[in-house]
Amino acid sequence: MKGLVPLFIGLFGTFAFSWLGLTVIPNWQIGALNPQTDEEGTDAYPTPKSGMADRGRQIYAANGCIYCHSQQIRPDYDSADIDRVRDAGPSPGPKWAERRSAPRDYIFDRPVVLGQERMGPDVANIGKAAPTEEEKPAASPAANVAATSPAPAQSPPPNASAPKPGTSGPPPAAPATSPAPPAGSPPAPPAAAANPSPAASASPNPTGLPPAYSEAWHHRHLYSPRSMSPDNRDSTMPAYKFLYEKHPISGERSADAVQLEGRDAPPPGWEIVPTYEAKCLVAYLMSLDQSHPLKEVKTAPGGAGPPAGSPPAAPAGSLAPAPPKK
Amino acid sequence: MTPAADIPLKEPTISAAAGDAEQFERARIDASTRVPVLMFYASAMVWLLIGTLLAGFVSFKLHSPDWFSDVSFLTWGRLRPVHMNVMVYGWASMVAMGTAIWLMARLCRTTLRHPLIIVTGIWFWNIGVVIGVIGILMGYSTGYDWLEFPPYAAVVLFVAYALIISWAVLMFRFRRGDQIYITQWYLLAAFLWFPWLYAAAQAMLFVVPVQGVMQAAVGWWFANNLLFLWLGAIALGTAYYMIPKVIGRPVYSYHLATIGFWTYALFSSWTGMQRLVDGPFPAWMITASIAATILTIIPVATVGLNHHMTMQGYFPVMRYSPTLRFTVFGAMSYTVFSVVGILISLRSTARYLHFTEASIAYSHMGLYAFFTMIMFGSMYYIVPRLVGREWRYATLIKLHFWASAYGVGLMSLMLLVGGLTQGADQNDTSMTFIESVASVLPYVRGRTVAALLLTVSHFIFAFHFGLMLFGLGRTSTVPTFLNPVEAEGSEEHL
Repeated sequence: MKGLVPLFIGLFGTFAFSWLGLTVIPNWQIGALNPQTDEEGTDAYPTPKSGMADRGRQIYAANGCIYCHSQQIRPDYDSADIDRVRDAGPSPGPKWAERRSAPRDYIFDRPVVLGQERMGPDVANIGKAAPTEEEKPAASPAANVAATSPAPAQSPPPNASAPKPGTSGPPPAAPATSPAPPAGSPPAPPAAAANPSPAASASPNPTGLPPAYSEAWHHRHLYSPRSMSPDNRDSTMPAYKFLYEKHPISGERSADAVQLEGRDAPPPGWEIVPTYEAKCLVAYLMSLDQSHPLKEVKTAPGGAGPPAGSPPAAPAGSLAPAPPKK
Repeated sequence: MTPAADIPLKEPTISAAAGDAEQFERARIDASTRVPVLMFYASAMVWLLIGTLLAGFVSFKLHSPDWFSDVSFLTWGRLRPVHMNVMVYGWASMVAMGTAIWLMARLCRTTLRHPLIIVTGIWFWNIGVVIGVIGILMGYSTGYDWLEFPPYAAVVLFVAYALIISWAVLMFRFRRGDQIYITQWYLLAAFLWFPWLYAAAQAMLFVVPVQGVMQAAVGWWFANNLLFLWLGAIALGTAYYMIPKVIGRPVYSYHLATIGFWTYALFSSWTGMQRLVDGPFPAWMITASIAATILTIIPVATVGLNHHMTMQGYFPVMRYSPTLRFTVFGAMSYTVFSVVGILISLRSTARYLHFTEASIAYSHMGLYAFFTMIMFGSMYYIVPRLVGREWRYATLIKLHFWASAYGVGLMSLMLLVGGLTQGADQNDTSMTFIESVASVLPYVRGRTVAALLLTVSHFIFAFHFGLMLFGLGRTSTVPTFLNPVEAEGSEEHL
């Protein structure tokens, strides 16, 4: 080859082609989407996240959660994402998703954390998996029963934590290893006495494990991932203990103290509380919810699978560039 | 007559006087590149060792997560991006620039002017990487793959790059002879593409951020093109120089090379979106990338055929030339890497391999088995010409080669098979998610063994390189052969 000019033109041209084709043109197509609203212009989805959740996303990215957790649900014709249920929670566990993800789900995300690997489960809808308000009182009777027992932390999780009876890890372990304050030891009584009431108000289950995917559950999971139920010992998730602080209990036990037992529990008179960063991260996780239906994507009705034979309004593959706005 | 005959590829076999003149000229050119290229190599070696230790640490922590997990800057999620970025910007980019500048000077047949400006650039580049690493460890990672460095580190890298490459490109002004050799196409291409790529990604992600999922598209477009158009292009260019040079025979076909080059530029630059298969994107983007990935079989076939035909009859030279052994291993890995890339990007297989360890295997096959092995080969060729000494221990070179080859082979195998298991389990909804994690754990442990092998290999090489750097190499006119006895009988191929 002779001459630099044709070489340079060629190099410039091929790269410009790729740059235009894979970034500029798609950006023109899906780079300026608006939230979807209903006929009256209300019920907008998605909406920007709160300040704490937004900060939580940065913590999520900065601590590398993105390398093991994806936040994108593939369509049902090409994967089992929509059919999959979560490991924890009352059986059957919450579903991963009702529908595939669409570009519009992410329009306020920065950075966008779609993820690339699943050493951990997809979290695109982890906030949706949280116990609803109706489910919370259901745990209250159990909490009351537990509160009457001498050592609340040792009673087995009543529900919401062990979908399979065969795999209940913590209950046998808890009595053997728990250094939970034995009633009657000098520093313990205030803490032990204060334990049930604030905990019950913050989350209704002061026993070993909070309801699956609740805020308290996330805190405990972040602090001690392998202590969760069902048996989570194979989890490769690192503990994020550096996002938590150990404090001596002054007066009452903090409402947001992490509920721990066994090896992870702080010594009597001490408590583990989340830092602001941990609270932001959990606020972010709780905000993750793609369950709102989108016009361009078909939604599996009630988790029963798509209606047979009805083609989706917009084929999931060809996402419309412009939203049908009102 | 092929045009290749015009260019200074062969060792001179003409008259002794003309041979002396060429030898002298080459020595002068090499001397002008000595300081910057050795600085590049020395920095790259330091980053390689850091990155390797981090890799072992990260690999170990993935199956033993409680190890050093209570310190914020030692958490797995921060060390992993540090490892990746140290390898990409510290090791790979620096060794690539060192080799590229040396090749450029040789092929333009001109001395490198103003080496001190390049040296300044190298300092800036190192500072940029250090800033970026500290940024990630402090918790300021941006969260985009291969772009985790905070944007201010990118500014430093950019300044450094301008200082370094402007002089490498300016060598063209002073070049002698009209012919532009294949290697120079690849190098010029890489020099032009990298700043555009890096600037475009930085601009679209941090300066004027694009909306939502487009950030992920830009991120993968960047990461993939960084591998193909920056590191891959330099590696292919290096192979086009080293293979003919070592065996003393011109490249088999210029036409094949031309086809290979332009199809490489056209098709590899369109890959990347297959990493987002079934994601929230218009389907045409992903399909276009899958199609482009399949079409990369054309450059792979032409480049592979070209190298193969050049090597035809000379394969036994690999038994004693370290440069050739590493380079040919890398060139063959390019084919394997690309074929695996095609196989895992098809929608039918991506269903099982997407979101699994298989993508890590793919990255390592590209960055290590292909790119890094060719760079090792070029270092074995170039360093003796810069320090005026020969490599001291053939045994160490052999150990380096086999530890690297087995290490990366084991790693790729473990992660591909492990990824397949993991993906199959994740698509089986009768299994809980944690069972899919449990099924991949043995393979992840196997990967740690591979990481240990690679660590051994890199420390051996670093030690050997250190000997060379401090003038402790052999004083000899004969290069170091891996099997000297066999080499004696075939000196015409030196």
